[in-house]
Amino acid sequence: MPRAGRDERAWVRGAQAGSASDLEALFRNHWPRAYRAAYLVVHDSAAAEDIAQEAFLAAVRALDSFDRRRPFGPWLHRIVVNRAIDWTRARSLRREVGDDALANSAAPGDPPTRAISEGVVGAVAALPADQRAVIVMRYLLEYTPGEIARMLSLPRGTVNSRLRRGLDALQSRIREEPA
Amino acid sequence: MTEAELREHMLRDPAPGESEAGERAWVIVREAHAGRDRVPWVERHSRLIVVVALLAALAVAAVSPPGRAVVDTVREKVAETPATEAPLDRLPAPGRLLVVSASGPWVVRDDGSKRLLGDFEDASWSPRGLFLVATEGNRLVTLDPNNGEVRWSLSRDEPIADARWSGGGLDTRIAYRAGTALHVVAGDGAPDAVLAENVPAVAPAWQPDSHVLAYAGSEERIHVVDVDSGRELWRTARVGGIRQILFDEGRLLAVTLREIWVFGPHKRALFKHVARGHSILSVVLVPYSGVVFADYDEAEDATELIFPTCSTSGACLLIPDIHVYRGAGRVGDLTSSPDGRWFAAASPQVDQFLFFRRLPRLGKVVSVSDVTREFGPGGKGVEPFPRIAGWAGAPAD
Repeated sequence: MPRAGRDERAWVRGAQAGSASDLEALFRNHWPRAYRAAYLVVHDSAAAEDIAQEAFLAAVRALDSFDRRRPFGPWLHRIVVNRAIDWTRARSLRREVGDDALANSAAPGDPPTRAISEGVVGAVAALPADQRAVIVMRYLLEYTPGEIARMLSLPRGTVNSRLRRGLDALQSRIREEPA
Repeated sequence: MTEAELREHMLRDPAPGESEAGERAWVIVREAHAGRDRVPWVERHSRLIVVVALLAALAVAAVSPPGRAVVDTVREKVAETPATEAPLDRLPAPGRLLVVSASGPWVVRDDGSKRLLGDFEDASWSPRGLFLVATEGNRLVTLDPNNGEVRWSLSRDEPIADARWSGGGLDTRIAYRAGTALHVVAGDGAPDAVLAENVPAVAPAWQPDSHVLAYAGSEERIHVVDVDSGRELWRTARVGGIRQILFDEGRLLAVTLREIWVFGPHKRALFKHVARGHSILSVVLVPYSGVVFADYDEAEDATELIFPTCSTSGACLLIPDIHVYRGAGRVGDLTSSPDGRWFAAASPQVDQFLFFRRLPRLGKVVSVSDVTREFGPGGKGVEPFPRIAGWAGAPAD
């Protein structure tokens, strides 16, 4: 059994028993990808924080009934991605703020050392929401197309075509970026 | 950029705000974990226990009258949630609660102060809580919620009801029914036009911050219309007995006596239904495409408030629906706080308003007692129970 899997089960077991340190280990291990996935789908740091936080709170609420034999990550990621898609759809309908305002809404918090390149963020943000979600699940969360299809309740062919179209659009957009 | 490079970029570098957001979220998650009520083994395996108990009860009931007692015990397993009582000296979340009693509409501020705004039968908030629209008989008025001052009014030949306000900035619209005609009037009082005739007595619902209205038509469909152009954008399949319409951004919910349906332009799905002998008294939308609904059991004369763990878009937590509360009589008027962290309910049988915390952790319940007296000063306690008619944000300074 891979060590990461054993660690995770131990953390879940410990968190179920009330251990804050095990919960923290679980949180620290999964927060970066949960937040980053939400951010890349919604392109809004405040919304990404809410979505990832809400997913963890849902996990805490469901901790006692969680089946430790199942991996924690896919369960969390499914919540994050589906809620991020919901949020994106809602925003596109609501049109409360313009794109400029959204582009400026990123939190100024992280150290200036290195963040996901603006070119990648911008290119992913320019994709339609359905392509964005599968690109994030494939390349950030590292799920196979079959797993993505099951998690999003989509036909596998649809996932493959969205991946292909998304990747083509990303590559052409990034090529067009001025050096 | 190759697939490998894309993967490397995404995996290697943080997103803007990632670490700070993580620290903030960790504090909330840790508190939720520390404050959670550990579910004892018996509760964690309650489904299994109930199944075993039911099988045992059926077996025993088949041969002995005492078995019926076992069945009843199992049926009564759903526990009543204890509520902490408090006077209405403040609201549990920021904002202003709109309550309509026999005296008229009241605005309750979060510090608990209350103001009666006049002798009207019904009222609802404008989109930003800057004004109220109130109705009385054949008259519709818009009011300043701070002092009850009438901004403008109109009268029709027939009784006016179900006024609902939408839109943003200065460009707002109010939909209302006059008799069986559905009207839309601009937020400043003119122009006014009839949108549809022969509509049933169901309150229309606006898509948030838009001029797109959903209303029940005479042929048991819900019509979604751009009121400015008068163009029908789409309409639902037939749904008999619509009692409540809710717009969840792009999704439309129709509530009947025992069902909640979710519609999109090309979609119809049964979201929830309750058992025979039960009825859905009220439904409220909560953030992230969720709902809370009130399920009334006529035989038991009790209502359960249920938080489905599936969103209306189909995303599901892998746990059963959460039964938030069970109370005597009919519990309804579900209303979400402006920040979505709380929701309120009215419980006439025990003369209480109930406030439930939903975020960051579901569980806390605050009850306010003696509601009839609070909103009927000098009354003899025989007036209709006050209704919760909306919860708006704090007033802009």
